[in-house]
Amino acid sequence: MNIKNILSIIFLFGLGCSFAQLDRSKLPEPATPRPIEIGNYETFELKNGLKVFVIENHKLPRVSYNLLIDTEPLLEGDKVGYLGMVGQMMRRGTETRTKEQIDEEVDFIGASLSGRSGGAFASGLSKYQERIMELMTDIVFNPTFPDEELEKIRKQTISGLAANKEDPGAIAGNLNQKILYGSDHPYGEIQTEETTNNITVEDIKMYHSNFFKPNISYLAIVGDVNLKEMKKLVKKYFGAWESGDVAKPTYEMPSAPEKNVVSIVNRSNSVQSTVNITYPLSLPVASEDEIKVRVMNQVFGGSSTAKLFMNLREDKAYTYGSYSSLSSDELVARFNASADVRNEVTDSAIVEIFYEMQQMRDGKISDEEMDLAKNAISGSFSRSLEQPQTVARFALNSSIYPYPDDYYRTYIQKVQAVTREDVQAMAEKYLKPQNAYINVVGKASEIEEKLKQFGELKYYDTYGNEVDPSLAKLPAGLTVESILNKYLDAIGGKEKIAELKSVRMSMEASMMGQTLNMEVSKAAPNMSRLEMKMGGNVMQKQVFDGEKGKLSGMGGESMVEGDDALDMALSSAMFEEIVYLENDIDIELSGVENINGKDAYGIEVKAPSGKSSTRYYDAETGYLVRTTNTIEGPQGAMTLSTDFGDYAAYDGYYFPTTMKQPINPQMKMDITVTEVVINAELPADHFKVE
Amino acid sequence: MRKLLTLLLFVSFLAANAQERRIEFEEYDLANGLHVILHQDNSTPIVNISVLYHVGSKNEPVGRTGFAHFFEHLMFEGSPNIQRGEFSKIIENAGGQLNANTSFDRTFYFETLPSHQLELGLYMESERMLHATIDSIGVATQKEVVKEEKRTRIDNQPYMSFQAKIFGKAYEGTSYSWTPIGSFEDIDAATNADFRDFFETFYVPNNATLSIAGDIDMDETKVLIEKYFAEISKGTKEIPRPEIVAPELGDDTKEEVFDNVQLPGVFQAYRMAEQGSDDYYAMQMLTTLLSGGESSRFQKEIVDKQQLAAFVASFPFALEDGGLFISLGLANVGKSPEELEVSMDKEIDRVKTEDIDDREFQKLKNQIETSFVSSNSTMRGIAESLADYHVYFGDANLINNEIERYMAVSKEDIRRVAKKYLTPENRVTLYYLPKSAQQKPEDEKAVDDH
Repeated sequence: MNIKNILSIIFLFGLGCSFAQLDRSKLPEPATPRPIEIGNYETFELKNGLKVFVIENHKLPRVSYNLLIDTEPLLEGDKVGYLGMVGQMMRRGTETRTKEQIDEEVDFIGASLSGRSGGAFASGLSKYQERIMELMTDIVFNPTFPDEELEKIRKQTISGLAANKEDPGAIAGNLNQKILYGSDHPYGEIQTEETTNNITVEDIKMYHSNFFKPNISYLAIVGDVNLKEMKKLVKKYFGAWESGDVAKPTYEMPSAPEKNVVSIVNRSNSVQSTVNITYPLSLPVASEDEIKVRVMNQVFGGSSTAKLFMNLREDKAYTYGSYSSLSSDELVARFNASADVRNEVTDSAIVEIFYEMQQMRDGKISDEEMDLAKNAISGSFSRSLEQPQTVARFALNSSIYPYPDDYYRTYIQKVQAVTREDVQAMAEKYLKPQNAYINVVGKASEIEEKLKQFGELKYYDTYGNEVDPSLAKLPAGLTVESILNKYLDAIGGKEKIAELKSVRMSMEASMMGQTLNMEVSKAAPNMSRLEMKMGGNVMQKQVFDGEKGKLSGMGGESMVEGDDALDMALSSAMFEEIVYLENDIDIELSGVENINGKDAYGIEVKAPSGKSSTRYYDAETGYLVRTTNTIEGPQGAMTLSTDFGDYAAYDGYYFPTTMKQPINPQMKMDITVTEVVINAELPADHFKVE
Repeated sequence: MRKLLTLLLFVSFLAANAQERRIEFEEYDLANGLHVILHQDNSTPIVNISVLYHVGSKNEPVGRTGFAHFFEHLMFEGSPNIQRGEFSKIIENAGGQLNANTSFDRTFYFETLPSHQLELGLYMESERMLHATIDSIGVATQKEVVKEEKRTRIDNQPYMSFQAKIFGKAYEGTSYSWTPIGSFEDIDAATNADFRDFFETFYVPNNATLSIAGDIDMDETKVLIEKYFAEISKGTKEIPRPEIVAPELGDDTKEEVFDNVQLPGVFQAYRMAEQGSDDYYAMQMLTTLLSGGESSRFQKEIVDKQQLAAFVASFPFALEDGGLFISLGLANVGKSPEELEVSMDKEIDRVKTEDIDDREFQKLKNQIETSFVSSNSTMRGIAESLADYHVYFGDANLINNEIERYMAVSKEDIRRVAKKYLTPENRVTLYYLPKSAQQKPEDEKAVDDH
């Protein structure tokens, strides 16, 4: 009687109480493991060179066909994105079927069908095995690539690119690609609206006719099928495919940076920073180091029990998850460690990632960590065998790459044989905390200062193009017009502004113990008057009648003429912003500034005289919050700024009620608005200039 | 000619429809009320062990939104026998994988292990059901981790506030009005008494289903289950099951949301029939009609012909006590949400007024059949489906015959549910608009006006 039977008897007699002494302080002992069996596959080759793998698995009545064309990556130049359209276009019309017919026939049998530049995939119920293969080969061999379908895809793609501009993951992807590989490498090319618009049907046709060749192709068939039937079907549908020579381009190997560099894409509404620490490296598929590197990465950041996760999430709670990857690649491999972390710990998270890289290099790896990593990899390998697609993947890899015949059969043994010394050696060879790109997508104004410690800061747009730092911090899609319109909306809206005939503001400030009173009045379209009084005496007066102006004060009076008069005409407008939008004034975005703790967008305005000033509008509220003027003084140029705050409503119009005005660069005056009268009755000669 | 062939094929398909693979299982209750479901499949030496607790965000008291999900995180903190941080390591060390998730209605934990580690999996799940430990370090850490999860998945992603907004309106005043992720404030407010109470009320064997699928021996497995779970006491507290009655909405509830998006989005949510009801199956077929595959009506008309949308889909967000039938579209560059919504409405009106032709109806059935057949391809999927079917529908055997319920849906049923549920009075609509399109800072004005 074996143990199993005894246990059953105990159970049957209901002697559950005998388990009362269950010792929960120890983990249960595992039973005897069953040997891992990798499913078998059959293989054959057609005369044209197509290699076929058949993995029979009768668990579910399904079948899948995966056609893989083993082409080298291509440079797309100014047409980045056309390779991605090849597959979509294959499905959009063949010599005997329209797109609509293909779609309907595929859906009618509940199948799925897709093309790609590297082949095609189809799956469905095995009772439709021939129809599925017929449909797949129709799009592979007989596509017509209709022009009007390309236009539809183009439109979709451009919308998709627009949506990606707001997606931190997509932005980080672009940044990583560009920084790691550069524009001259197929892995570094970024699709934009412009490259999308350059794509023609000819590009797609040319690729299809040059690269879809059986002699570089593999077909993996998985599911509830029969080898003999499949041989017949494959011959019938793939037999006439003609072989041909295919170009194999080569590329220069990108290199890791000499010292750490920080690259930032500003996403001003981010509540988290997407951090990637990354660099390119050489680790060919099937190379000697591959399995050892796999174990090393597992210890470092390969799972939710690895060093990165335990430190950044379980100990510090900086993130929902932090992981690393280091996979082999024929052209160029990459190391990447990543985490999405809240803004205020962006720098701390980077410090911790580097710390863990150094721990690995120093061999600070426990036996427990080694065992855990090796067992996790072995377990994941065993679990993957549940899916018959895994066997297909093994068959394809063994055929394409120089793996030894027993590679997968002995995979777990090889993993288990990796030592701590191996892992440290791999860490020293492949982990480069001094030669890394630190790529961050996040809110620049909150994180940039703290990132300077890691290296030179560079700024990029959402497509990975380097940009001027001050402009980089502007959100995508922001324009001068949108800022001005938002401001005008915030202060009452254009319609109401058009109704405004005049306004009179009374203000008060204290200076050197004395009270200063000011009155500013304006009348549409551009008359203005400013009076400054102290102790009842007019200190200064400035009037503009719409054409000419006059300054008077304790030092005498002078007329405003020439360019200065043109400048005054502009500043006398009820709201200058209306003039910017309607007339030909030289204005441009100057960047984003943090003003009193809030982001504000700057617009540089060149007045008719050529003097320039910058006006800042709050990113959130739209209000004008600061103006700065550069003045040529005895000590050279200096910048004077006026801050506006505490906007309040007066008959539905919003005006600032506090201003901080410079008297000189060292001294500011606090001004409080005491009264605002909308459409005030003003004396007839109020704006008269004599 | 081809048409005729298709027709012939189609007849033979129907005959072949009997092709099926049954999923055999056994189920029983332990004395403490734990429901057990076992499925044996020895083809691969792996086993999936799962525990479903019948508690989700809808069981949270007001002021504790997000608690069920937060609690799920804490269930990985350990027990008197499993140190903090060790739970995941023990499973991974045994070659396993684990995770959990929380929905409006339930919380689900699973491990997939090499089959010789079955006992370990049972031990681990029994440890947390018996005496999960929740210490203050774990609580403090996981509070922050859960907030990061919310930032990563929702706050930092375009459009992702839609779930909270749409449920907030469509189920206002009920326990479906908040989503499982909850709010930062409520998570911060959680106290030790909350944890104890929640554990004692909901994490009890009589509120749990243990579902195991894989390379097992039935008798041995039963003995091991008894060994580890029998000693866990049955819960003594009453398990509250909030009643959810969808509130009256009024004519047509609409909201504009200004978000960090480039493409305007239209989200329409209709309250739907509770899962498992006849109407629910008809609505599933309706979803397939509208957005299943490239030839579906939304895809063909709105994306392909009219080119109004970059993406459009319909999916039923089915819940135990209702749920939402959601249609969403992201407008192509230069297209307005209004015109997109009109064309989405037009497709829904067509369902209400026009007959579905025979071939299109047969297509729906074939699509449903394929997805039903494909749905049980992994041990993890089977264990989860068995548990869900048992808990939600009281019938685990639906894993084999739920397809019959779909096949019983008629064309008239589809039209009927479209008319009954897809009405403006039963709908919440959100427009997602780019922030740059925002007209005025309305809320600011409301405060300042005097």
